[in-house]
Amino acid sequence: MNNKVRLTEYIKGSRLQCVLAPLFKMAEATLELFVPLVIASIIDTGIAKSDKSFILQRCGLLVLLGIIGLAFSITAQYFAASAAVSFVKRLRHALFEKISLIPFDKLDSVGTSTLITRMTSDTDSIQNGINLGLRLLLRSPFVVFGAMIMAFTVDANAAMTFVIVIPALSVVVFGIMLLCIPLNKKVRAALDKVLCTVRESLTGVRVIRAFGKEKEQVEEFENRNSALTAIQEYTGRISALLNPLTCVIINIGIAVLIYKGAVRVNSGLLSTGAVVALYNYMSQILVELIKLANLIITITKSAACASRVRDVLALDNEENSPSFSSDENSPVVEFENVSFAYDGSNENSLEEISFKAFKGETIGIIGSTGAGKTTLINLIPSFYKTSCGAVLFRGMDVSSISKEKLRNSIAVVPQKAILFKGSIRKNLLWGNGNATDDEIYSALETAQAKDFVHEKGGLDAEVEQNGRNFSGGQKQRLTVARALIKKAEVLILDDSSSALDYATDAAMRKAISEKYPETVKFIVSQRTSSIMHADKIIVLEDGKAEIGTHDELMKTSEVYREIHLSQFDGEVTG
Amino acid sequence: MKKLNSAALKKVLKYVGRYKFLLILSVILAAVSVASSLCIPVFAGKAIDCIIGKNNVDFKSIKNMLAVIGILACISALAQWIMNMLNNRISFRVVRDVRNAAMKKLQILPLSNFDRKPVGETVSRIISDADQFADGLLMGFTQLFTGVITILGTLGFMLSVNYKIALVVVILTPLSLFVAKFIAGKTFSMFQLQSKTRGEETAFTDEMINGRKIMTAFSREGKCLDEFDEINERYSKYSLRAVFFSSLVNPSTRFINSMVYAGVGLSGAFSVISGGISVGALSCFLSYANQYTKPFNEISGVVAELQNALACAERLFELIEQAPQTPDKESAITLENTDGRVKLENVCFSYDKSKELIRNLNLSAESGSRIAIVGPTGCGKTTVINLLMRFYDTDSGKISVDGIDIQNITRESLRRSYGMVLQDTWIKEASVRENIAIGRPDATDDEIIEAAKASHAWSFIKRLPNGLDTIISESGSELSQGQKQLLCISRVMLCLPPMLILDEATSSIDTRTEIKIQKAFHKMMQGRTSFIVAHRLSTIKNSDMILVMKDGKIIEQGTHDELLDKKGFYYKLYNSRLSE
Repeated sequence: MNNKVRLTEYIKGSRLQCVLAPLFKMAEATLELFVPLVIASIIDTGIAKSDKSFILQRCGLLVLLGIIGLAFSITAQYFAASAAVSFVKRLRHALFEKISLIPFDKLDSVGTSTLITRMTSDTDSIQNGINLGLRLLLRSPFVVFGAMIMAFTVDANAAMTFVIVIPALSVVVFGIMLLCIPLNKKVRAALDKVLCTVRESLTGVRVIRAFGKEKEQVEEFENRNSALTAIQEYTGRISALLNPLTCVIINIGIAVLIYKGAVRVNSGLLSTGAVVALYNYMSQILVELIKLANLIITITKSAACASRVRDVLALDNEENSPSFSSDENSPVVEFENVSFAYDGSNENSLEEISFKAFKGETIGIIGSTGAGKTTLINLIPSFYKTSCGAVLFRGMDVSSISKEKLRNSIAVVPQKAILFKGSIRKNLLWGNGNATDDEIYSALETAQAKDFVHEKGGLDAEVEQNGRNFSGGQKQRLTVARALIKKAEVLILDDSSSALDYATDAAMRKAISEKYPETVKFIVSQRTSSIMHADKIIVLEDGKAEIGTHDELMKTSEVYREIHLSQFDGEVTG
Repeated sequence: MKKLNSAALKKVLKYVGRYKFLLILSVILAAVSVASSLCIPVFAGKAIDCIIGKNNVDFKSIKNMLAVIGILACISALAQWIMNMLNNRISFRVVRDVRNAAMKKLQILPLSNFDRKPVGETVSRIISDADQFADGLLMGFTQLFTGVITILGTLGFMLSVNYKIALVVVILTPLSLFVAKFIAGKTFSMFQLQSKTRGEETAFTDEMINGRKIMTAFSREGKCLDEFDEINERYSKYSLRAVFFSSLVNPSTRFINSMVYAGVGLSGAFSVISGGISVGALSCFLSYANQYTKPFNEISGVVAELQNALACAERLFELIEQAPQTPDKESAITLENTDGRVKLENVCFSYDKSKELIRNLNLSAESGSRIAIVGPTGCGKTTVINLLMRFYDTDSGKISVDGIDIQNITRESLRRSYGMVLQDTWIKEASVRENIAIGRPDATDDEIIEAAKASHAWSFIKRLPNGLDTIISESGSELSQGQKQLLCISRVMLCLPPMLILDEATSSIDTRTEIKIQKAFHKMMQGRTSFIVAHRLSTIKNSDMILVMKDGKIIEQGTHDELLDKKGFYYKLYNSRLSE
């Protein structure tokens, strides 16, 4: 979290727009200043001389000023909109990229909900802030300071009031901004909570309904929603102070100005007309600040959102390096005294594990629920870093080599079968973008998925989000096929046939070992039958490993024997 | 488009209507605030009138006037502050109400809705769209009232000075409203497009965050980013259009206002020449014309903002107005102490009505019996469970419990009569205790521990950093699939409802633990009708009846031994297991 991330970096591509938008806005404001002069000339010249054609001509000038002003301001609006939209577009791009690159322990601890609000709601708010900011932020100080300078040209002594009023206004404006930014951050955090409940209601709909928990879910939502509303209202109360406070300050300024003016007029130092002028300039500031007040609320919100987005962008990417020099003679995968503990846990999930896997070998991994099987295989593609010891791929420490090349050599089928929205083909091509239909079908055949893919209407059949239109077993087979298409050196099957019936499971394993004889296969399973023919079997129990072949382990490992007997006993004697 | 727009507005007003009292108060305060701030220039003018020249200043009157200004400023500020707070309250509460309504609706939508729609899309409606709706509403309230009252106030002043020129103003200003409306109508559709694409982007992000591991494993970061960029590009395009076109409103109306100003200048100057009014009256008029048109500007700006708010609100209402599942019948009874006699008669069902899935399914489960459902994946086993739980309603045929058609039973009592454990585990972001006690929040710690022990979850729970109080995070990454499944089983162990549905309930649990759990299951299933979907034949063998399903139909039915004797499909399945 030490990296300093500057969001201004993302404005780079729109620098020109960012300069032009306020400039055009200022040009428009300047034009507005001419209007009183034109009116003055109508009164002084036109009316005084009853010159109708002069009046017509001057009114024509007013129309012209209006048209030029319109052109300027449309240009300014366009530049502002375009700068804001493209800035946020780049920001979202960076955010998505960051989300896809941060290490898993960070992703786990940050949480899905908040990443989604940051990606959508927060960036929208930033866009809004920049758009309005570019349009008004320069204009307002321009008018305020312009008015002050004009006041000085009228009477320096009386204009000193401005020198006091303007800093007082700044204190109010910036003070409220500073108060509101952290409050707005809290608002966003409350919004994350609301989002979390919504997501849960959607993903857990079956369980919620099975237990008749709809009411409780709504209650929890209402509580969180009310908490959000409460903090929003509290923040609103403070930001609502802005406009009234600034108005009071300015009106007091006006009173002081008139009184000072009166004193100076009384002593003959100032004309009445000059007092009127000074008064007008103060009023101009008032009008401008009313506009600004709404902007400030948007800006503080936007700033809070920006800081949340910055927090995500400041997360470190997964370590990576371009180096990749594999040693063909080394074992394909090797664990050297590997220990691993999850973040925040003081207990090791894996303890001092060592083994080697050579080309073409099948490694079975078995053990109780929560014994560390998935943890172990997550270390091979370097999803997590070891706490102690090293995982080697072809002799290279996986933590210090090119992650992309490493992962291209490894095909993983995770426990949870995840498919993405799109066609079957699109999902399978994740494995290898250039795979031909023949290759795809061959992989589907190996994964025992060809038949149902045909039934669903072939490779172009639609896959709904999360593959919801497929059964658990179908999803598992598709994810296996997706991994096979990769033709990687290492294939990891993490309990990926748990939803398959025995016959299909057996057929799949047989096909894989026949078609991919060179591949190192890691098979995590609950069933000894799935792994008993493996070259090596790793039996995990509370993070510790016993390693051997089926026959060896039957003799030496009590845990393994128990597991095996539990299954065969269960079958034979029932 | 316009129709939609006004329809959405009407619905919003219905929600706003609940806060009528606050709204009226807010309008009154707006009037007080505007009136007092409009009076300030009058008193300032009077004070200036007291400054005539050297040694000719009426300090006493000036002091009085200035005191009045001070008081007015304070009144105006106070009124404005309270008004702002009221507006805050109204808009945030309206959005809160709409969100709550949306959430309530989610609970009664038919399941097919959830199975079809991406999670992120719905999330985007309830979160982002509602958020934008709140913004627009707030801005609308704050500026609309003060704007309208300022217009009315200045109009009054102008009419009192010279009604002829005032008429010029009155006739010309609606032009700006017309333009604002025209542009707003055009932008509404762009805001709709923007909202829709935002939903798409949210859905994609949601999907990718969930599938991050796959993305990383397949080194698809680049490709996914490209895909994201494609959506992002479209979103930005629509967004730019919506933002830019809506921001045209302000300059356009300002242009029209300056035309009005020129018009007043022209007609005013001519009438001065013809002796209609004085120069002083003209300058007063011009300044009021200026003040009068400014709120039009603001209001037109608000109109653009409201368009976005309405487009977002509409998406929320779309969700709220979706057809709910057919409600429980008035006469529906609450199922209590059921015997657990479940009967399916000629049940037909399919998700996609063009593709038949389950046809003429018949099944009769006696009280306390164990029914196992086996068959190849995709044969409709899980669908049977969807129907038993009434997650989906049958297309035809009848399902009954204790002889009562489940259509005549309240959904809640029907579902609570089943204890269900699914293969797809779902854990709430809450403590372990809350997760287990979900079906019986009043359970004591002892009962919870008892249930956790029965499901063999206790050994890992007690090792968690805070035991039962350990909070499981949103991603649940601190638990393995198997551990999550054990928690889900503990839930059912705690409730012990009269009927059980176990859909691959132990698929992620190792066999040693499973055997231990089986014993607990056995005990639990005593006297309880149970439906078991499993691949492990060991789990199935002891069932009273095994249904072998294929392609949505029951092709074989009987006990384990009967089915083996038949040497049919089941026999083949069973032997494939032994041949290893």
